[in-house]
Amino acid sequence: MRITVTVNGLAYERDIEEHWTLLRFLRDSVGLTGTKEGCGAGECGACTVFLNGKTINSCLALAVEADDGSVETIEGEAVHGELSWIQAAFARNHAVQCGFCTGGMVLSVRDLLQRNPKPSVAEIKEGIEGNFCRCTGYEQIVEAVLDASGQLDENSKEVLRYV
Amino acid sequence: MTTTFKYRSPVLRAELFCLLADHGADVRILAGGTDLLGDLRNGFAQPSLVVNLKNVEGYSDISWSRDDGLVIRAAVTINDVLQDSKVRDSFPLLVACGQDLASHQIRNRATVIGNVVNASPCADMAPALLCLGASAMLSSQSGQRTVPFSSFFTGVKRTVMRADEVLEEIIVPWESADARGCYHKLKRIKGHDLGIVGVAAMNKDGALRLGISSCAPTPLLVEGMSAQDPVETVVAAVHEAISPISDVRCSREYREHMVAVFVRRAIQEVAQ
Repeated sequence: MRITVTVNGLAYERDIEEHWTLLRFLRDSVGLTGTKEGCGAGECGACTVFLNGKTINSCLALAVEADDGSVETIEGEAVHGELSWIQAAFARNHAVQCGFCTGGMVLSVRDLLQRNPKPSVAEIKEGIEGNFCRCTGYEQIVEAVLDASGQLDENSKEVLRYV
Repeated sequence: MTTTFKYRSPVLRAELFCLLADHGADVRILAGGTDLLGDLRNGFAQPSLVVNLKNVEGYSDISWSRDDGLVIRAAVTINDVLQDSKVRDSFPLLVACGQDLASHQIRNRATVIGNVVNASPCADMAPALLCLGASAMLSSQSGQRTVPFSSFFTGVKRTVMRADEVLEEIIVPWESADARGCYHKLKRIKGHDLGIVGVAAMNKDGALRLGISSCAPTPLLVEGMSAQDPVETVVAAVHEAISPISDVRCSREYREHMVAVFVRRAIQEVAQ
């Protein structure tokens, strides 16, 4: 069947199968491979995207459900090759190692900061509980979110070790 | 996805009921999809038709009135409930259970109704709805019936619902508003995880009700107690009601132990 989905501001009209997930549509039909498939079961969050303004696991949504809707992926984060302030904070704080979780992680952080511009460490951890990172141990990611929300200084780095 | 199927997304209730009546057991309803997509992927569900109910008129509403109580309709997500001002003000138990359900992304999609229809023994919303005395309004082409959640669950992933029925509304009676409530959930990690043991407690004007998850084939309600009862009497009543098993997540003995720990904590928390 034919669907029309706006992805990062551009409208795509594509023929898809009813049983395709939104994740498969984004990767195989639109060609945006920044959205990753980790577990395929809604546990890891590597496939996180915004659908109509809310973060979801795109492995747990059908592509057809996004018909006439709007999707934002990690490819929409940097504008004209310039990293967003969240991506820049991730880079500054070494919050990226293998990078597989990073796309979903950045989008969950964007969603968190839109809801709560100055989250506490506990709130940051809750905000990214649906995004698994198997490299960093999360410490640098939490630091990056504190940085992105203007709350990071050398003291908070020390405090973080004990939270 | 290993399964292929046709897809429909009706806007009218009548159209939805008609599709369900025509296709019987060969159709699966798609609400939040956070359970269904997994089942489709691994082949546990092999329907020929998937019917999305999120676009049915009126299904995304939450309403509150003294006459009708709190009404949560079929497409209302967990985060919709958590963000609703009446729920936040008057139903702390729904908030406590909802906040402990999975991750933010899942809560943006998963529906309250899907959580109870799938009838997992560890369903997080069930203990709250049992304590609150909520009912399920089931609708089909042939009419409507209302079933209290205390007789809704019949076994592991089994309910009283027929294949042609839709759980259109969860009705929480207004008498349950402003009751003290809390939820304790044992998980392997602090982040999102399925419950190993769950205990919800509600104290409304001295009447104590407990909702227990992951300790029997269905979520359980233990009622008819007073907040003044000795704690160990309540613990004994809960132990009498549950029938936990040993599985990959923990042993029967550990469940029995932890349910008592949580019951003691929860009673203290809701004591007035």
